[in-house]
Amino acid sequence: MLTTRWRLLAAILALTLFGAAACGDDDDGGDAADDEETEETDDTVEFEAAQDSSALGTIRDRGNLVCGVNNVLPGFGIVDENGEYSGFDIDFCKAVAVAIFGDVEAVEFVDLTAEQRFTALQSGEIDILVRNTTWTATRDGAESVLFGPTTFYDGQGFMVSEESGISDVSGLEGARICVLSGTTTELNLTSYLDSEGIGFEPVVFEDNTELQPAYESGQCEAWTSDKSQLAAFKTSIEEADGGTQVILEPTISKEPLGPGVLDGEGDLAQIMDWAVFATIQAEEFGISSDNVEGFSSEDPEVLRFLGQEEGFDAGLDLEPDFAAQIVAAVGNYGEIYARNIEPIGLTDRGLNALWTEGGLLYAPPYR
Amino acid sequence: MAIPAVASRPPLWRNIRVLRVVAQVVVVALVVLGLRQLFQNLVSGLEATGISTTFDFLDSPAGFRVADSDFNPRSSSTALFAQGVKNTLLVAIVGILLASVIGLLVGIARLSSNWLLAKLATAFVETLRNIPPLVVIIFFFAAMFRDALPAVREARRVGAPAGDETAFYFSNSSFAIPSFVREDAFSTWLLLVGILFVCSIALWIWRSRVEVATGKPARRVAVTTAVLGGGSLLGLLVLDPLSWSWPRLEGNTIGGGFRFTTAYAALTLALALYTASHIAEIIRGSIQAVHKGQFEAAEALALSGFQRYRFVILPQALRIAVPPTINQYLNLTKNTSLAVAIGYPDLTNLTKSLIGNGKPAPQSILILMAIYLSFSLVISLLVNLFNRRLRLVGR
Repeated sequence: MLTTRWRLLAAILALTLFGAAACGDDDDGGDAADDEETEETDDTVEFEAAQDSSALGTIRDRGNLVCGVNNVLPGFGIVDENGEYSGFDIDFCKAVAVAIFGDVEAVEFVDLTAEQRFTALQSGEIDILVRNTTWTATRDGAESVLFGPTTFYDGQGFMVSEESGISDVSGLEGARICVLSGTTTELNLTSYLDSEGIGFEPVVFEDNTELQPAYESGQCEAWTSDKSQLAAFKTSIEEADGGTQVILEPTISKEPLGPGVLDGEGDLAQIMDWAVFATIQAEEFGISSDNVEGFSSEDPEVLRFLGQEEGFDAGLDLEPDFAAQIVAAVGNYGEIYARNIEPIGLTDRGLNALWTEGGLLYAPPYR
Repeated sequence: MAIPAVASRPPLWRNIRVLRVVAQVVVVALVVLGLRQLFQNLVSGLEATGISTTFDFLDSPAGFRVADSDFNPRSSSTALFAQGVKNTLLVAIVGILLASVIGLLVGIARLSSNWLLAKLATAFVETLRNIPPLVVIIFFFAAMFRDALPAVREARRVGAPAGDETAFYFSNSSFAIPSFVREDAFSTWLLLVGILFVCSIALWIWRSRVEVATGKPARRVAVTTAVLGGGSLLGLLVLDPLSWSWPRLEGNTIGGGFRFTTAYAALTLALALYTASHIAEIIRGSIQAVHKGQFEAAEALALSGFQRYRFVILPQALRIAVPPTINQYLNLTKNTSLAVAIGYPDLTNLTKSLIGNGKPAPQSILILMAIYLSFSLVISLLVNLFNRRLRLVGR
């Protein structure tokens, strides 16, 4: 065994090494001392931006964008048996990747449940969350999400099977209702039915792979979720001969779905915003993935949008033709919608149409 | 005789006593430094992203309902933790009781001279012990309850075929059994039972004294049970303090009776059986550890099988069995967190819901860990008190 002298030496060595590590040059370690003097978030962000350890800098160094997505929701984010991701949110993720790198393959997908998604964003596991997430005040504030433009205006509803005999919301009295944990759905369900004076039993699951068999086997009489999700599952259940499903009339909440990054990542948020706006604006101009290549126009707005106006730089840290690249890679908003949302049964765009057609999609001008 | 001179003290830096103390101080300092570093890391990270670092969220409302309970969504998060504790304890206590009884019986059965009984017990133990508890839980919930039983609308009924009222309902979402409803005379009856209980304690002490004094069997168990049980029964018949409440199928729900969800049943049953298989092995090992001479001596004294186990073998075996059994009880309590897989609202599931709905994660998980720690400490404390009675005097 070590003699006393050697033990002493070992102790001193350990102390020195640990002291070096503890007071060391790790960013957060250094900030721990700094934060005691500066309470402001802004100061910390500026300190980090100067060293380019912001999310955008990390993404650029890494060479790809890490996206938090859904892997079990048809139409929005789903994986096929070859491991290929497809869906509405997946396409917007790719759009942001094209905006940053010009390469639609420079993206890595991380599957997340509704409960995990915010902690994944907060801990830096993902750069951007594009997972049918509703924009709410609490998520903006306490959960530190910086939301981008709403890509899908949705609302919450109920689905029941025809043989349950429930035809309206009052028929849900005493019913067991399946719901996902950690969603606005869970909270809205409670406040809506309580305000209507209808008693119910919530059956809470972590994700749809557990929820769907429970609903199909009759363990719960109703399924509550965003109506777009219900439409997707209605289609898949009816196709698998599960009996006719009925989505009840009332839309009991507003669910504006959109992408988000972590609070404080202003540069990345700007790119996310303008990548989304590019798809909306492209549809407004009539530019699609078919015609973007040789699209010619006299309109200076269109030329500027496609990056063909000499000398224009909006200062967004994007390539001049980023919009053209995005449209070439994933298409305009209408194409993304048609490719992903129409197959699940929502052919009427409703609120998700362009503002020129009575919907809510409105991109700020690119000038 | 000359006293030898005291050896001179070694210098401070070679003095082993000093060095021991210094080494301990250094280690403690390193640990404290390390923890402080980690904590500051966490706090600065949270503050940089604007997430709360205090426990103020405990007063904010939870916002969602909990299945099968009266939890008001506007209650605070503290109340939600309390509800979670209640739900977990419901599973843990019933599970521990069931597991102990089944484990004891199966452990003894495994050593039976009846070949079939021994083999069945072995099959039970070897099957359940080698499957992860999560798999057992999902098997009960999905295969046995969800897929094999019908939906509530067509729930299976067992019992009196009088219109819609039945004795027992089995569906894939809940089970219903008849229960009691208190009538007005209930408090009177309770008073009667209380008085009888006090009397029976007095009887017990008296008969024990008689037995010790005269040496003849004084049948204290029989006498006490007769008085307490008989008296209570008589009171039931005369006072009529309880009435039956039968479950009744009303469309999509079951009203009346006592209902519990298949999630609760699956979790409790699965954990009870899984833990019973471990406890059976512990019991078997502890019985086999009792000296063979004890068995032979008990037989020589013409004790029946039951008497042999009750008075000679088990007291010695349990002494060995209790510490590992405490471990199994703790495992059962912690395994209740697997309820997240089947949607039963236990403590872990409710905490995850809280976090998913905007409460800060580090603080919530810290509270969760503290609660599980206190469960474990309380269970260990209680069972160790029992252990003390079994201990050999002098050890």
